[in-house]
Amino acid sequence: MKLKKLLKWETSLVVILILELLIFGLINPNFLRISTLLYSINDFISICIIALFLTFVVITGGIDISVGSIIGLTSIVIGVLWKLGGMNIWLTLPIALLVGAACGAFSGFLIAFTGVQAMVVTLGGMLLYSGLSLVIMGVSGASAFEGISGMPDSFVQLANGSVMGIPNPFILFFILIVLSYLILHKTKYGRYIFLTGINKNSAKYCGVHTKWIIMSTYILSGMSAAVAGIILTSYLGSSRPDLGSEMTLSIVTAVVLGGTAITGGKGGVIGTAVASVIVGMMRFGLQMAGISTQYISVAIGLLLIIAVALRNAAGKDAFRRVIQKNKLKA
Amino acid sequence: MTDHHNKKIPLVRLENIYKSFSSNLVLKGVCLEVHTSEVVALIGGNGAGKSTLMKILMGIYTPNSGTIEINGEKMNLNNPSIAHSQGIYLVPQEPMLFPNMTVEENILIGFNTNQAELKEKVEQLIKRLGWSLSLSRLANTLSIAEQQLVEILRGLLREAKVLILDEPTSALTFAEIKSLFQLIKELKSEGVGIFYITHRLSEVFEIATDVAILRDGIVTLKGPVNDFDEARLIQGLLPPQTVTKEIDTREDVKKTVDTDKTQPIMEIKDYSGYGFNSINLNVYPGEILGIAGVVGAGRTELAEAIFGLGDVTGGKILLDNEDITGKQVSEVIKKGLNYIPEDRYLNGVFTLADVKSNMTASVLKWLSKVFLHSRKEKDITQRYIKEFRIKVTGQDQTMKSLSGGNQQKVIISRILSTDPKVVILDEPTRGIDAGARGDVYRIIHELKNKGLAVLLISSDLEEVVLLSDRVVTMYHGRINHRFAGSDINLDHLMAASFGVYEDRGK
Amino acid sequence: MKRILLKLAKMREISAILFLIALFLIIGIINPIFLQGQNIMLTLKGSIMYVFLAAGMTFVILTKEIDVSVGAILGISAAVAATMLRNGNNIVLILLVTLLVGAAAGFINGFGVAKLGVPSIVMTLGTMGILRGLMFIYTGGKWVENLPDYFKKASQVEFLGINVFILITLTLIIMIQLYLSRARKGRFFAAIGDNIEGARLVGVPVNRMKITAFILAGIFSALAGLVYVSQVGFVGNVAGSGAEMTAIAACVLGGVSLQGGIGSVVGAAFGAIIMSSINTGLVFLKVPAYWNNTISGTLLILIVVVDALVQRHLSEKAKKQRLMARTSFVKEDVTIEA
Repeated sequence: MKLKKLLKWETSLVVILILELLIFGLINPNFLRISTLLYSINDFISICIIALFLTFVVITGGIDISVGSIIGLTSIVIGVLWKLGGMNIWLTLPIALLVGAACGAFSGFLIAFTGVQAMVVTLGGMLLYSGLSLVIMGVSGASAFEGISGMPDSFVQLANGSVMGIPNPFILFFILIVLSYLILHKTKYGRYIFLTGINKNSAKYCGVHTKWIIMSTYILSGMSAAVAGIILTSYLGSSRPDLGSEMTLSIVTAVVLGGTAITGGKGGVIGTAVASVIVGMMRFGLQMAGISTQYISVAIGLLLIIAVALRNAAGKDAFRRVIQKNKLKA
Repeated sequence: MTDHHNKKIPLVRLENIYKSFSSNLVLKGVCLEVHTSEVVALIGGNGAGKSTLMKILMGIYTPNSGTIEINGEKMNLNNPSIAHSQGIYLVPQEPMLFPNMTVEENILIGFNTNQAELKEKVEQLIKRLGWSLSLSRLANTLSIAEQQLVEILRGLLREAKVLILDEPTSALTFAEIKSLFQLIKELKSEGVGIFYITHRLSEVFEIATDVAILRDGIVTLKGPVNDFDEARLIQGLLPPQTVTKEIDTREDVKKTVDTDKTQPIMEIKDYSGYGFNSINLNVYPGEILGIAGVVGAGRTELAEAIFGLGDVTGGKILLDNEDITGKQVSEVIKKGLNYIPEDRYLNGVFTLADVKSNMTASVLKWLSKVFLHSRKEKDITQRYIKEFRIKVTGQDQTMKSLSGGNQQKVIISRILSTDPKVVILDEPTRGIDAGARGDVYRIIHELKNKGLAVLLISSDLEEVVLLSDRVVTMYHGRINHRFAGSDINLDHLMAASFGVYEDRGK
Repeated sequence: MKRILLKLAKMREISAILFLIALFLIIGIINPIFLQGQNIMLTLKGSIMYVFLAAGMTFVILTKEIDVSVGAILGISAAVAATMLRNGNNIVLILLVTLLVGAAAGFINGFGVAKLGVPSIVMTLGTMGILRGLMFIYTGGKWVENLPDYFKKASQVEFLGINVFILITLTLIIMIQLYLSRARKGRFFAAIGDNIEGARLVGVPVNRMKITAFILAGIFSALAGLVYVSQVGFVGNVAGSGAEMTAIAACVLGGVSLQGGIGSVVGAAFGAIIMSSINTGLVFLKVPAYWNNTISGTLLILIVVVDALVQRHLSEKAKKQRLMARTSFVKEDVTIEA
């Protein structure tokens, strides 16, 4: 029953996406060209990648608003190690991933083991990680405004190249959807994420190491932000500390619109994947339609609120009954 | 100050109240009234609908149908503040205080009148009642009993005409109960009408003027207290057949373990921790060992510490001759001990997950390495659904849509799926209906017959008497008495739970 | 024990005050110029905007909600005020309209949270995006400049040698504090965050109070916007962006618990002063500005984590003592019996 309900929501998301494409197609017929659509993903691949793994965090009942800063930090780490450290750029990528994982581990550890709310810790994390990228830039003498550019072509091809006509980011997105789907919905670990999110206490009584489960989801979201940072750096061919700083709203919107409850315990990556494309396409489509980019955040903000409010209205009645029932039993 | 000398107009009159939660019909046409200077004892098992009824009177729930009259006038109560303005006040079982506010703020919040005057009034009240309660203490430093006093003060300050006390004595000490009863008598003489919810029969005869028994959503018996004796009350409380039948047969199933010859499956030696002290207990395979005691006697703390969820300060536990002291939960489960927590909603169920995920949550660890093993999960779930006759539409039904009894059966299945040698059941029938209760009793008997050792923690003494082969009582964190065979009866257990067994014995 | 706990509860603000003093002393020892009256004034003046934001945020957090749109509200109300100033509108009208913009934004937030049941983090994240976008559209993405001098000079006016804005802020904060701790309705905000069911039971209009909290947060953000216009003298595209984080951090530093129910406006105000002192302090320490975020972030995490650990330790200790008391109580009993 739950699966059916979820699928129903995912189907309506697909319908929304199709409608969206049609509307933008009417405004600007160029929009519907296959190559345009395929390559549009370059504009919002970071949102998609991070939203997939932020879904894990949100299902445990947490939130991570530091992911945007981690994008910038990993980008700077790549740039500084390559340009000033003289490292092979490919060798810097595993280090960037490690940095993302470390940031996630730091936030996750504090959230899981000290009991401070995720919102507060990742708020601090956001300041800290974005601050660190400025510090790294500052200490290494690079200019934060200009960034570090001139990266080797082979690296730039990572995000700009394609295999058999399909852009690399698209392939990467597809791989990550499959990967995150398998992890969340097909492994024991994924089940533990859900159980922890639904009722942390009950999970503890079932012998689940809830603290490690919670911490690990932040490591995953940190690493996904690092992947996004790598792709974005490659796409632009340069490192900038402010990459991703404006993405938090879009990423959270994608997760929530995808059907994952912000209160935890419920959700899935397929919904997130479709919703992240909806959100991304909206950014891209509005740009294509020649509508000034400023409307984008208005549209996404409205989308977020309306999605949650509507889902609430439908679920509210049932929810209220459950609450009352619980009260009655207690 | 309208004093109704005319006894015929009741202070409150509830008529034909129906209330359901989703598909679950909780109240099926309840009629009840209270007059001035009456103490109506409302008794009934868990889930009988007592609290729901009183919450309807308070305007916290809206009834599906039925009327409420106050002083003969039909009222539409859909908000607690309306009930308050009509002079109705509920002292809830779990006090609803603001933990970060002082006692004074807690009492005075919500009043429109002059705060300084009110404060004086409160101080006078406390003095008159002879309580020692500092107004400047933070609510989160109060004991449950003190919190209840604060709630009662709130009601008194509102000059309540009708006071509802929801199991007020469940967490009180003897002295506190005594002073509460004194207070109730005073209020009664001042004309206040009181609904007194309880499941302690002795209290009924001590303070009530009238009795009403609520069972399965209807009032089965009511009348002046003088018309009743304990036997009649119990009869009114018991479901028509199921349980009485089991009571009849229990002598046959009771068994005495030969503690000299049998090897215990679990040995608790000088076990101490926070809330319990110097516990020595052997548990044998194939027996049901009841642990009785009042709320706060340390039973749950003991069970949770054994299960790996509490600090241990001394002693040890051998499970099948293996030391499991201080091990983590997952290891304790692996070694063969599992536990059903006291609070099913807080620590047991995964409401949003389906029945299957709920069932396999504990055993998942051993079913497979990385990926889920869907077929194995389904097999286990199907087996228990069948074995315990769990009413579900399918394995993928969400847990929250199940009744309390079926949820409990799922949780029992969960712990049995890990193949334990010892199970600790903490309040296994709390909040489930009579039918499911019988089923749970049957399951517990089956476990025993299969050779498992069952530790049964329950505040429902009748349940302990009914099921247990041996009983220990805990009092203030220690085992104070042990009973076996025919010594297991309500009187003994009640007395021992309150630490007065020997006094009576002498 | 109770007394100690009570004291600790009261100490939540005091630790912020002590921290602020220590901060000033440390910076002052390294660079004594920082402690000159003029520079202290400068620091305080720079913090006024955040004090207002944090004060409004306190109402929301007390009810156990959060508002991440305050920076955006600051931005749009500053843009509205600046545009009207440039157009030469009447100052009273400007103040009214600006505050109304803040109140309206707050009302939308409150309505979504209280009536539609949208979690506040989602709701305000959404309105943050919407308001930022609207601000861009309103200003056409251009800076609002060339404001009349009288409004810019207002931030320089002094009374008895103290900046008027500081005096106004001080008065406002004291008044709000009195309202929150003394007034009948003032206590309602904390009551909702402390125990929402209990609040309903004693007749607190929970939804209405929540909406009020968000409206107040909006109005205070608009006030902060006015301060911004007066002090900075123009309104750029990013006015107020990230300010919501500073405001939340200020509340947390000042002892306002994100779990709701605990905290005071005075504490939040001190938290805000700490947050902006760190930035000005770094200038006096000749630390490059790029360290700002790293240091604020570290401090925020450090203080919150230490606070959480201390609180947890205390409550666990209290719980253990309570449980121990139960068992030791009987020991005496037994000896008496024996």
